[in-house]
Order: sequence, then structure tokens, then C-alpha cells
Amino acid sequence: MQLEKFNYDNKIVRNFGIATIVWGIVGMTVGLLIASQLFQPALNMSSQYTTFGRIRPLHTNAVIFAFVGNGIFMGVYYSLQRLLKARMYSDTLSKIHFWGWQLLIVSAAITLPLGITTSHEYAELEWPIDIALTVIWVVFGINMFGTIIKRRERHMYVAIWFYIATFVTVAVLHIVNSFQLPVSFFKSYYLYAGVQDALVQWWYGHNAVAFFLTTPYLGMMYYFLPKMANRPVYSYKLSILHFWSLIFIYIWAGPHHLLYTSLPSWAQSLGVAFSIMLIAPSWGGMINGLLTLRGAWDKVRDDATLKFMVVGLTAYGMATFEGPMLSLKQINGIAHFTDWIVSHVHVGALGWNGFLTFAILYWLIPRIYQTSLYSKKAASFHFWIGTLGILFYAIPMYWSGFTQGLMWKEFTPEGMLKYPNFLETTLAVIPMHVLRAIGGALYLAGVIVMTWNLYKTMAQGKLLANEPAESLPLAPAFVPHASEKSWHRSLERRPMQFLVISLIVILIGGMVEMMPTFMVSSNVPTIATVKPYSPLELQGRDIYIKEGCVNCHTQTVRPFRSETERYGEYSKAGEYVYDHPFLWGSKRTGPDLHRVGGKYSNAWHFNHMFDPTTMSPGSIMPPYPWLMEQDLDISTTPSKIKAMRTLGVPYPDGYEDKAVDDLNKQASEITANLAKDNIKVASNKEVVALIAYLQRLGIDIKASKTAANLDNN
Amino acid sequence: MFRQFISSVSGSQVYLITSLGIFLVFFIVVALMLFLMKKDHIKHMSEMPLRDTK
Repeated sequence: MQLEKFNYDNKIVRNFGIATIVWGIVGMTVGLLIASQLFQPALNMSSQYTTFGRIRPLHTNAVIFAFVGNGIFMGVYYSLQRLLKARMYSDTLSKIHFWGWQLLIVSAAITLPLGITTSHEYAELEWPIDIALTVIWVVFGINMFGTIIKRRERHMYVAIWFYIATFVTVAVLHIVNSFQLPVSFFKSYYLYAGVQDALVQWWYGHNAVAFFLTTPYLGMMYYFLPKMANRPVYSYKLSILHFWSLIFIYIWAGPHHLLYTSLPSWAQSLGVAFSIMLIAPSWGGMINGLLTLRGAWDKVRDDATLKFMVVGLTAYGMATFEGPMLSLKQINGIAHFTDWIVSHVHVGALGWNGFLTFAILYWLIPRIYQTSLYSKKAASFHFWIGTLGILFYAIPMYWSGFTQGLMWKEFTPEGMLKYPNFLETTLAVIPMHVLRAIGGALYLAGVIVMTWNLYKTMAQGKLLANEPAESLPLAPAFVPHASEKSWHRSLERRPMQFLVISLIVILIGGMVEMMPTFMVSSNVPTIATVKPYSPLELQGRDIYIKEGCVNCHTQTVRPFRSETERYGEYSKAGEYVYDHPFLWGSKRTGPDLHRVGGKYSNAWHFNHMFDPTTMSPGSIMPPYPWLMEQDLDISTTPSKIKAMRTLGVPYPDGYEDKAVDDLNKQASEITANLAKDNIKVASNKEVVALIAYLQRLGIDIKASKTAANLDNN
Repeated sequence: MFRQFISSVSGSQVYLITSLGIFLVFFIVVALMLFLMKKDHIKHMSEMPLRDTK
């Protein structure tokens, strides 16, 4: 057989590389802004488009899908071609993938500040963008599998298995977590409600971390680390065990995000058990990476690229040890909803994803530009300032997390909450937030230095857009020797079977956890007094979603005395059956709101929304004056009622025709009540709907208690 | 002790036991696959990234 000559496409790798850097700077800058808003509320800039609630999702989406997303495609497009000895299947698909992905990012950057959001964390984009994302992901999949099929290397290296698992799992996660009923072009309701919606969201949320931030990066680690160290991976067998056990176990761990909530306890326990088991494959991967450098540690001293890899892997090991520890109920009881979780996430994001991305950029850009790195000193400076940035970020946030968790739970000897005013606990951690922002600024400064260094590197070299390569073609009829017939060996040359088996492996966990929660009614006991929201409350709920209140306020009271004392009765599954979507939240920058209904007067809420500091001096919540000025869009009310009925909310037939009348009536009652406190506001303003919603929160169960008491008497 | 553990399994706890059982079977299958793999193939695969330039 004759050697075949072909070219690797380096231009697409370069394009994804540049996008990684540009979006990285954008995403981290927004991160620095929102971090600063938490100690300097003036930085919300008195604009609805720049308030914390709206731009916090912009930060998370930008760093996950724009920075890390482009980083993944850069690494995959470079390594896939070389491991398979084939150019990407189609240059056109590569271009559609690249520009389509950038367009998705731009659409997110426009819609999120406008308040167009589904409220599901890391899945905030509304349904038209969800569909576009699916299309672009399929384009990536076709391009990847096309390349795999026309490959010149019979067996697929372990990195490619991670890429396949990433592709198939992200597709499943995205589709299942996007089952929404559109109400308009920019608004939809999730098919699931309450507990079920929470389970689906955190099955998605946890596995977005697993299969977007972890598996593709592990694949890249298995390719780029041996290249950088110029030695094969420490144990290929370990990498196989690592791969299969990681993708099997990860998918089960989602419920650890919902400990002590009203999710059935068996599902919580499953999440905990599998989270603990997850230490084994995660550390297997980390150890495999670090031991690949055995005998090459002298190189680490001189090579900033390897330094980034070592710290990145160590951060991965720390985050994947901490994750299972945080899943232990005793630890979770203190850590959940605090800054501890923010720190945990950022050790992974800044250390693992960030540092691996930087290492790959430093290694790859000089190679495709046929030159050497412009400044090794600047790269080394980037490494040290980046590491310092991570420390300045993580340590204050751990401190802040412990402080919050302990203050929330502290009682006086008399048995009263020591800090009954939640604001005290927020203000106590302000200095830690300042230090965290300094950490973020150091990290971002490093990225800017890298950008300059890589720009100079590109300027002094010339892009080798089409890198020549040659290889023997695959024999058309492959007859395996006896030794070729082992299960895994044959699987390594059958990409489609590999995809199907990976799919089955990742589906098992999700199905075992979700099916009973969806099918067995005893898992979500209903409560007779829990009624659907009134039309005004429903509209108010959508304002709550639009303003991103869920980013700082939870709506789930855990069954701890410290929480029932502070907030009231703990939350029950049956209270959320009409909540499309669930709004439990994941962070308490402000207090839980599930029992806020009836706690304060309408006037208190009005004044608080207009300027939070008038009601809570020192509050870091931004003011929302536009809610008093903007008219509520009531034209959507009938379609929202109809959509909710389709989803199973028991509004009577034809209620959509009466809904607007009911809405106006309730709004007039609220404005009349506000007028008694000398507050004049038209009943068609957004704030009225929001007050209606807040006053409704968590009160249905009180009616059930009253009914029960009457029965007993 | 084991019998006591099993007899206390009731209702929804069956999900826990089944799940751990599924994992155990899966883990044994993967371990078996690893055991059956040949050394030369492992070496060939692990050196793949270092051979990919030409």
C-alpha cells in the first residue's frame, strides 16, 4: 500500500484558539464586575441591563460555553486530526461550527442582560437559541464522526473516547433539560415542575460540569500532556478504567445538589453514594496525569506549559476530592448555599479548565505558527500571577463560606438565633469578597499578559494553515488476529458501537433516578391547599425570573432548626407542583424567600424594591426603580394560562378569557393597599405583579395547617 | 449482620441496592476487559500521541 498525503487543518484550530482568548477575557471581566457588585452595589450602574441578577448568568455562560467551549473545540480539532491521521471531515462543517458557535455566544450576550432567561442554571438560554445550539452541536458531531470514519488509524486513542462521550452526553443532557413549552418567541415554561424540574436541572447542571468541563479536558490532557512531556501516558490500562468508571458514575451524582430539599431521600442518598465513589476514577485520572511526568520533573522547572498542567491537574484533584466531601450531608448542611460552593467551583474552573487551556494555547500556537513562544518569561509570570489569583480567590471564599454557614446556624444559650437578621451574615463577609475580587483581577491580568504574548508569537511567525502529513490508508478488509479479538480492542475500532455503549452507560444512572420520581406518585405527595398561582402572581413570577432573583435568593427551607426558626416551616415537595420552572436557587447571597409571603407589608416590598437600603440599611441588593416605571405586559396572560393548563396546572377551561380581569382586580387591591401607606403607583406596573407573587410565596401550606387545626378542634 | 441489612431494605431503598449492584457488575466487566488486554496493544495505544506527526 502507498502512503497517502493529506493536510491537517490548522486554521480552524487557530480560529477556535483566538475565540477562546477573546471570550475568556470577556467572561472573566464580567465575572470581576459581578464579584465587585457584591461589595460595591453602585457597580450595578442603576441599569436593569447590568444588575447582578441579569449578568451573573452572562458570566457563567461566557466562561463555560464561550471560553471553555471554544477551548474544547480548539483542543479537539487539533488532536482529533492527528490521532486519526485525517483532516477534519468537512471544512464547510468546521466553518459552520465555528461561526455558529460564536453566533450562539453573541445571542446569549444579548438576551441574558435583556432578562430573557429560563432560570435553569447554565441552561438559561431560551428555546430558539436552544434549538440553534442543538443544530450546531449536531454539526460538530457529524464533523467529528465523519473524521473518525475516514481515519487512517484503526484504533481510537483514549482521548477520542472522551470526546465521543462528551458529544453524546452533552446532546442528551441539553435535549432533556430543554423540554419547554413556548409561550412566545422569547418565553417558555419547562414541562416539568417543582421537584421533578429540580432533579432534571441538577442532573443536567452536575453533568454539564462532568461532560463539558471535565471529560473533554481529560481527553485533551491524555493527548497534550504526553506531547508536552514527550513520553506516553503513565498507564493506559488506568486510562481505560478511568474512562468507563468516570462516565458511569458521574451521571448519578446530580442529586447531591439537592440535599435536604424535598427531593425523595432515596434519590438524595443515591447521589451521595455515587459522589463518594467518584473520588476513585477522578483521582485515577489525576494520578495518571501526574505520573506521566515521572522522570520529567526537571522539565517542569523550566517549562511554564508543564507548570500550568501540573497545577491544573492538582486543582482537578482538589476539586474532585472536595466535591464528594461536600456531598456528605453533614458537610453539605453547612456548606450549601454559601461561598464555599463558589470557591469549590472556581478551584475547578480557574485551576483545571483555565490552566489546562493556557497550557494548550502556549504549546499549540507556536507550533501552528512555526515559531517559538515570544516570551517564556511572560508565560512564567502568567503562571505565577494566575496561581496567586487562584489562591486569593479561593481562600477568602472558603473563609467566607465557613463564616456564613456557621453564622446561619448559631444559636444563643437561650435558644434564639444569634444572627436573626440575615443581613448581618452578608455584611460579615464583605472583606472576603473584596479579596476575592483582587484574586479575580490578578487572574485576569495574567490572561491579558498571555494574550499579548500569544499575539506577539503570532506576529513573529506565519500560520501553517494546511500542515502536510502522510500515512498509510486503512486496509479495506480488516481481518483481526486472534489477539485482536478482545472485547475492548474490537470496541476501539468501532466508533458507532462505542457511541451506543457510551450512551447506554450514561443513560442508566439518569433513568434509575428520574423514572421513579416521575412515575411513582408517592415520591411527590400533593397538598390539597396548594392552588395554582393567580394570573397576576404568575406574571410576577415571570418578573422574578426575568430579574434573576434566583441568583441570590433560594426558595427551599431545609429541615434544620436554624432554618425553620429563621424562615418558618420547612419546604414540602407538594408545594411546588405548579412551579414551572422550580426556583429553589443554589446560593443565598440574600435570605431564602419560600416563606416570605405575608411576612412584610406590600409597602415594605415596594420600598425595598425601590431602594433596598431604606428597609435594610447596608443591604447590598441593587435597587430596581424600573419596576415602578415599566408597564406589565398583560397581553401574554391568556397564552401563559393556556400553556400552564397544557402542562397540567388545573386552571378551569376558558379561564384564560377571565384571567386579565382577575389580574386587574388583584392589582387594584394591591395598589389600594399601597395607597393607604401613601404610595401612589399605577396598578399596571411590574412591581405590583412582583409584590403579588412575593406575598403568595409559601402561604398555601399555612392554609392547610389552619384547616388541620379546625379538623382537630 | 448482612441479613439484618438486607431485611431492613424496604420500599425505595431497593433503588440504592439495585444501583450499587449495577455498578458492581459494570466494574467487574471493565476490570475483566482490562485483564484480557494484551501488553503489546497497550503499548501501541499509549504511544499513539507521540507518533502522530507523520
